[in-house]
Amino acid sequence: MALLTPSRRPAAVSKDPAPRTLPLRQRGTGARKQFTAWLFLVPALLVFGLFAWWPIVRSMLLSFQKTNLVDPAVWVGLDNFRTLFDDPLLGTAVGNTLFFVVLGLLIGFPAPLILAAIMSTVRRGAGVYRFLVYLPVVIPPVVAILLWKWFYDPGSGLFNNVLGKVGLGPYSWLESSDSAMLSLVLESTWAGMGGAVLIYLAAMVGIPGELYEAAEMDGAGIWRRIWHVMLPQLRSVIGLLLLVQLINTVQVFTEPYVFTGGGPENSTLTVLLLIFRYAFQDGDYGQAAALSFLMVLTLALLSAVYLRATRSWSTS
Amino acid sequence: MALTATLAGCSSLTPSSAAGDGDLVLRVQGMPPATDKPGLALFKKQVADFEKANPGIKVKGSTTVFDPLTFSAKLSGGNVEDVIKVPLTEPPRLIQQKQVQPITGQLKEWEHFKEFNPQVLQPLTDSAGDVYGVPQNPYAQGLVYNRELFEKAGLDPDTPPATWAEVRTAAKKISDSTGKAGFVHESKDNQGGWQLAMLTYAFGGELQKEQSGTYTATLTGEPTKKALRLLKDMRWKDDSLGKTLLNNQNDVIKQFAAGQVGMFMGSPGTYRLAKMQFGMENTDAFGAAPMPQSGGDATLTGGDIYMVPKSADKKHAAAAVDWLTFAYAKPQYSTDLAAEQAKALSADPKSAVGVPTLPVFDKKRQTEIDAAIKPYVNVKLQNFKPYIDGLSTLKLKPEPPYQAQKLYTALDPVVQAVLTKRDADIDSLLASAEKDVNAKLAADQK
Repeated sequence: MALLTPSRRPAAVSKDPAPRTLPLRQRGTGARKQFTAWLFLVPALLVFGLFAWWPIVRSMLLSFQKTNLVDPAVWVGLDNFRTLFDDPLLGTAVGNTLFFVVLGLLIGFPAPLILAAIMSTVRRGAGVYRFLVYLPVVIPPVVAILLWKWFYDPGSGLFNNVLGKVGLGPYSWLESSDSAMLSLVLESTWAGMGGAVLIYLAAMVGIPGELYEAAEMDGAGIWRRIWHVMLPQLRSVIGLLLLVQLINTVQVFTEPYVFTGGGPENSTLTVLLLIFRYAFQDGDYGQAAALSFLMVLTLALLSAVYLRATRSWSTS
Repeated sequence: MALTATLAGCSSLTPSSAAGDGDLVLRVQGMPPATDKPGLALFKKQVADFEKANPGIKVKGSTTVFDPLTFSAKLSGGNVEDVIKVPLTEPPRLIQQKQVQPITGQLKEWEHFKEFNPQVLQPLTDSAGDVYGVPQNPYAQGLVYNRELFEKAGLDPDTPPATWAEVRTAAKKISDSTGKAGFVHESKDNQGGWQLAMLTYAFGGELQKEQSGTYTATLTGEPTKKALRLLKDMRWKDDSLGKTLLNNQNDVIKQFAAGQVGMFMGSPGTYRLAKMQFGMENTDAFGAAPMPQSGGDATLTGGDIYMVPKSADKKHAAAAVDWLTFAYAKPQYSTDLAAEQAKALSADPKSAVGVPTLPVFDKKRQTEIDAAIKPYVNVKLQNFKPYIDGLSTLKLKPEPPYQAQKLYTALDPVVQAVLTKRDADIDSLLASAEKDVNAKLAADQK
């Protein structure tokens, strides 16, 4: 099995005190080269600062202000945060978002991996399958959701019609607070799976065939080959896609907004939808910015913890 | 992060600029899209006439329509036109947040200003008496019904339900005999709360009270509870509200246009949406009645409002009011102009000319306008007769004056619970909603 972990490196390598190449600044001729480098960097830094960082900084400032964005803003300190924590909907929105994340992990995360594993064994018509799997990704999200709304329709929807033929249902997919969130996850899994499947397929192509052959010669069946060859080889891709999925699902907005408007009974009200309501329904930009700020902070922390955990995992 | 950036990015003001040749360029919403050929031709003629009468001003029309998703951000960032068009739901909030300008002084210079219907101007007026907009096609909410389904259910389409008990009976008959939804109540995107406000008014209640300048929500009143009990009975005892229960207004009108809905609370103006946007073929089935009552004798008002945003500078604001008077106030007062517009619009068979509105001025003037446009009317006015006949008996009430959207946000889940849970406890749901929304209103008014 030693063959199956080629990415492992001796611990000494990472502690090697002697760099194999000289850092850039030591190889150049000093200040002049550094100045030229900065000169090239300035436009990019300006654009990045103006369009990425400045809005973020402004948003952070906004979270401590009360403003209608026309009259001068009034500094209110932590008032927006206090109002935020007094709002019972915040707990509901956080709980619902976590529920969406967990359902997404249970249903949406393994689905593309399983599909890619199956598709990687198909030889004839592989292109057609890839096209079909990727197709939902290119359908505009709102169009896809409207299509699924018809699937879920409790009266004449596709799902209830099909299930009715085998004596099941009808189910109130979106109309019941018990099943609404699950319905959203099913649609978003379908809509977003194609991209992940292609990435997995590309990564699977890169796994050396000899590893499978060696495993097979050692008597490993298909499941053992998947478990001991394929999954370890895909570890870094799986890790990356897991992080991307976490960040995306925490920021879910379009599905609850278009499908249910956060209902029934706020059962699909997510954090981003609550931010939207604060800003664009209530006109309370300060409070919306405060919640945005907390969300960014949470995601940044989550990403940092995750990266740290997976770094030690990948070098263990 | 995208939303974070949006919130922060909309703070820069972009004041209107003058044209290079010295003309003042006035950007106005309300230009019909290219698909509405007669409407667009009429608009262009109005622009040409206005520019001729007002040398030095160039009008640049915009087909942008009100989109709740982007409107607030654009308005707050000063990225809107010098004349904006919003539904009547918006002015109270825009006035409170000082995002629009008062236009009283200049509007008063028009000789017929005093003849405006005060009920129509009320939601556009602040506590100091300043007016902030000019209304177009104002309406009062009523009951829209499918005359064909009424006939199929053995009901008389010329005698629509006048009370909510009658609505319940009619809805059950329609549902039982046709399999379609007898009555649909909107329930999401704040429209559940909005429609519950209409029901509360019809049952004789209010959703908000003002005491010493402070507003509080009164969601636990008996009229609101009665209204919800009615919906609960219709849903769970009669099963007459259909299967799709999470609907906004567009969802309902779309279903109505497809002949799937017997009744819903709406205005005559939904005729345009049903026909032009959702392709209702059998428009003869469209019927409109006044809002059924159960002790309130009142209904909620609505319409399109043209306003001047705060981002317009003095010169542009002055030109904007000139345009509002020229393009909207005068044609709703002058019989000649109204007839000319109706004639132009009726050239397109897909148009809807003659849909009844509330009198923008007084009833006599409206009767004269109606007579002037009569030759060009292409909607079946007979089907709107119950609405027109019954309207005068009702008190027209605006939306709750302070942060109405927050009330609606709190009420949507209550309506949804009643529609989706058999054991929904109306009293505790309303009590909880009232407590939550009052905490928010108190924080706002600190």
